[in-house]
Amino acid sequence: MFGGNVIIAEDLHVRFRTGLFRREVRALNGLSLEVRHGDFFALVGQNGAGKSTAMYCFLGLLKPTSGRVRISGQIPDLGSRLYEKVAYLPEEPHYHLYLTVEEATRYYASLYGKRVSDKKINETLERLGLAQFKHLSLSKCSKGMKQKVGIAQCLIHEPQVLFLDEPTRGLDPLAVREFRETLREIHQRGATIVMNSHVLSEIEMLANRVAIIESGKVVVQDDLRNLLTLNQELYTVSFEANGHVPNYLSSIERAGNVVKGSISKDKLYEFMEFARDSSLHLHECSLKRNSLEDSFFKIVKGGELASASEAMEAAPVAGEHQS
Amino acid sequence: MAELLRANILADLAYYRRSRLLLAFMLLFLLLTGLGSLPPLFANSGIQSFNALQDIFSELNGFLLVLCAGLGLFIISSHLRSRSLKMVFTKPCPPALWLLSAFLSAVIVSLLLNLVVLVSTTILSVIWHVPVRQGLIFVSGETFAASIGLIAYLMLLATLVHPAVAAVSALIFNADLFYEFQVWTQASIRSGNSSPWLRALEKLFHGLYILFPMLEPFGKKTAQIHNSLRVMHGEWKFLLYSLIYALTLSAFCYCLALFALQRKKHI
Repeated sequence: MFGGNVIIAEDLHVRFRTGLFRREVRALNGLSLEVRHGDFFALVGQNGAGKSTAMYCFLGLLKPTSGRVRISGQIPDLGSRLYEKVAYLPEEPHYHLYLTVEEATRYYASLYGKRVSDKKINETLERLGLAQFKHLSLSKCSKGMKQKVGIAQCLIHEPQVLFLDEPTRGLDPLAVREFRETLREIHQRGATIVMNSHVLSEIEMLANRVAIIESGKVVVQDDLRNLLTLNQELYTVSFEANGHVPNYLSSIERAGNVVKGSISKDKLYEFMEFARDSSLHLHECSLKRNSLEDSFFKIVKGGELASASEAMEAAPVAGEHQS
Repeated sequence: MAELLRANILADLAYYRRSRLLLAFMLLFLLLTGLGSLPPLFANSGIQSFNALQDIFSELNGFLLVLCAGLGLFIISSHLRSRSLKMVFTKPCPPALWLLSAFLSAVIVSLLLNLVVLVSTTILSVIWHVPVRQGLIFVSGETFAASIGLIAYLMLLATLVHPAVAAVSALIFNADLFYEFQVWTQASIRSGNSSPWLRALEKLFHGLYILFPMLEPFGKKTAQIHNSLRVMHGEWKFLLYSLIYALTLSAFCYCLALFALQRKKHI
């Protein structure tokens, strides 16, 4: 029934009231998405777009106002056996601050119902560079160290589904790199990973599927490679020019007799014929890649432009009513 | 399940051990009790020493009840407010088990503190040459039973409201208040006011008195034991009854607290 989907969210709405006048806030506004088994799935969006709220709903920490969530075909019921293969790293360090680094790691590991050996705890702490701080109270740890404790408790039981909310926030560059490698390892082992992050370059390095969330709903959900070639009809070509340069070549850069430029997809075959006829020495001909950042801005800003133009179209109608 | 209980209880005991608020509260009360026990050092009669011992014992038991209420209140409210339960419930540890562990850990601390008070009072009895009476064990047992009920009640309140509101509610709305209201309405009825409203009110107060937790459900029957620290044959059963009452109350509060915890929209 659920096919290869590990997570299915259907039309999730989360509304709550806040402030003196009980103003309604719509944190999620019909969010739907599917995460397939083995995906490294990234949730991307601006601050307040609803990424963390969505993750809370997936984990059962927040009950949606309407809509439904299934994890491996089950409703996420807090503390149930469903969580035996799940690990979660929260964005904010919501840890048991009165415990020491070692105690917290042991406690979180024990919550899976199995006693964890000292050796395994020490190995994990060692791996994350926490061994020398193991007797330090979490309340005295830096944000990065707390984050490492969170990572340690995620890794200790080799989970099958990992939820990571801004996992590299507060980590030093070395730790980020090491963590990235660890995530790759876990993913290669077959785990499904769902990650929220603002660091788009990181997502580009790790994720295979991406959902862009805007105002509480998914505006795009696709494979990363499709997003990186979003609306892409341009090819980069580089060749040694022997006189004539086709006029459909744009963004031309010259270095000696080497010409580099872009051509549209519909001119690709024409260019190939030109290259063959002119016996051009071709250095490169490749699909021009966007960065995820480019695609993200294109989608988010495109959405804003679309809604602005919709508003412009709607304005005269309103004016007619008024007159 | 045993491992989950063990892990949660150990974590909760670490919380109690490191809670500065609880520690400060305990030190303050011990200081006050210590100062209170200074005058009997100069007492020159057995009766004065006995009275002083009884006062100290009663004060320490009173303090224990307040402290145990605090244990129940803080263990729930601090976890709820710090949102650290996210880390617990996103693992195969159900809320029912976590709540049970929190309750059991508070009961363990309460038992230890009761034993400390009992042993301390016994040592004082020996030092002041006051005969060690069975009543010490009885009153300690009764205090322990009361503290179990109080822990569960405060845990329930902490899952429902802000800890400050919970503490104030527990102080104001308890069985004693409604008992006093009931006595007042009964006195009015006896003095000739037979308004049906007053009769309804009397029944309402009686209902609330039964419904709200009582610290000493058999207080009238055991008052003499508290005064003389002697236990007559056949009076031990009240200790058993107190314990049964406390466990029943705890089970009721636990179920309600669990329901409230599971109904929370956002952990």
